[in-house]
Amino acid sequence: MERAWVLLLFTCILAESFASPRGLIFNLDNGELCMQSLQCKSGCCHRTSGLSLARCSDKAAENQECSRKHIYGIYYRCPCESGLTCDADWTIVGGITNSDFGICKDPAKRK
Amino acid sequence: MFAFWSLALLLISVARGKEVCYDRLGCFTDDIPWAGTTERPISKLPWSPERINTRFLLYTKKNPDNFQEITAIDPKTIGYSNFDANKTTRFITHGFVDQGEENWLSDMCRRMFQVEDVNCICIDWSKGSRCPYTQAANNIRVVGAEVAYFINVLVADYGYSPSKVHFIGHSLGAHAAAEMGQRIPGIKRITGIDPAQPYFEGTPVEIRLDKSDAEFVDVIHTDSAPTIPYLGFGMRAAVGHLDFYPNGGEQMPGCKKNALSQIVDIDGIWEGTRDFVACNHLRGYKYYSDSILYPDGFLGYPCAAYNLFETSCFPCPARGCPKMGHYADQYKDQISSTSGFTKLYLNTGDAKIFARWRYKLSVTLSGKSSVRGYVNIALYGTGGNTKQHQIFQGYLQPGSTHTVFIDSEIKVGTVTTVKFLWNNNVINPTFPKMGAEKIMVEDGENGHMYNFCGSDTVREDVLQTLTPC
Repeated sequence: MERAWVLLLFTCILAESFASPRGLIFNLDNGELCMQSLQCKSGCCHRTSGLSLARCSDKAAENQECSRKHIYGIYYRCPCESGLTCDADWTIVGGITNSDFGICKDPAKRK
Repeated sequence: MFAFWSLALLLISVARGKEVCYDRLGCFTDDIPWAGTTERPISKLPWSPERINTRFLLYTKKNPDNFQEITAIDPKTIGYSNFDANKTTRFITHGFVDQGEENWLSDMCRRMFQVEDVNCICIDWSKGSRCPYTQAANNIRVVGAEVAYFINVLVADYGYSPSKVHFIGHSLGAHAAAEMGQRIPGIKRITGIDPAQPYFEGTPVEIRLDKSDAEFVDVIHTDSAPTIPYLGFGMRAAVGHLDFYPNGGEQMPGCKKNALSQIVDIDGIWEGTRDFVACNHLRGYKYYSDSILYPDGFLGYPCAAYNLFETSCFPCPARGCPKMGHYADQYKDQISSTSGFTKLYLNTGDAKIFARWRYKLSVTLSGKSSVRGYVNIALYGTGGNTKQHQIFQGYLQPGSTHTVFIDSEIKVGTVTTVKFLWNNNVINPTFPKMGAEKIMVEDGENGHMYNFCGSDTVREDVLQTLTPC
């Protein structure tokens, strides 16, 4: 019985956080603490160094520094806004340490 | 019941008229309107100057990091200090529960030194501000009198002119200007940063900050919702020559974060806790501080109300928009003494840097068929390029025109190109194409119009570049 209540409560919280424009776990605004980019409205959970806390932040605009999208979900440089590609080389070390940085470019411009 | 209240009122009126007198500063009464009115029900006399212990902490370009404590009681301390009587003096005063050694005051001084050479004096009256609110609201009178005494000593000893004095007060501190302004005519400027609301809103002008207190009074309102029940700490009414209402003046962006994110702030736990208690109220001095370095990033658009500002009141009038914050006095000459209050509206960012630049966009869509989705626009110009701003969400109909305002995080300067992008986040097997036929961009600061045309259409999530036409 108790378990059922906990389950119900959890479902409610989950539903609430998805439904409301401003959530506790999902739909986070810029500046709120996050652990995964999925939580952020902006789609980027950003931290400045390995020791600092991560916060939701805007994606990188054209000509700004970026990382390519990856599975870690926390970025030192946010991925690019839609329509842009992050012009970064892929290296094994960089892939592990999450430090393959590039510049956001418009793919149409390169032609 | 009526008898009880009339008796109570009688008692209050009999009990009124108490007075305290202090050397140097004179007498303070708790007579009406200082107490016994509906706005100020509890009567308190201000504490003695010794107990409040108003301290003047001087920062100059020579000592930007460590203050020199000076006092008018012993004018020699001013002579020994780095105080320069040829320069403008800016006083900065904190409010309730705060203290003059708090970082934001000295940070503001250091920002000033980046753009000008002034005497920056932070006033500390923390001994008088850390007490019940009703008491602090009266102690501020002594603080105002102390500042007036200080300026009088400067006038007597250095031939200093009050027309070189700028007084910046936050919250309760803003109302110290009332006492000071009445004692010294001809103060150059007073800046009220979200002047305190309880005990001051709706009171006569001798109690609160008012445009008669100085040659020029500018006010920033950031927390003007009523104290009951919304816990707004700042004044709602326009009281100065220029009254700025950033983001409408009631709810500031970045102040609705969840408790943990608010307290665990980028600037540390202490800043976060301050914001947790009074985020909107404290935004005012952050805007002011940013405005020192971004003179045109806080343009106030004259408008009747915030909801009108969101849809019209654009661009700036021919003579320009007043600048919120540090450079508000550039607009001083254009204010006629007889005119009423000028309300100005603008939007700011949600975290530092708070500066924003407003543009009007008018987008005409093209394509073969309508789709649901949203439209993003990014501006490219001599000052760099903006991020993508979502300007419309809904039914995208070819031929329809959408007009919106954006507050850009950079100053684009001369707009050279515009990029258009649409998306609907739904897989559509027919691969519809949309485009922008025409985009008009209007710069809010100078009213410049830029026209851009596009001939093609693009698939979703592909940027379309529009060139001038």
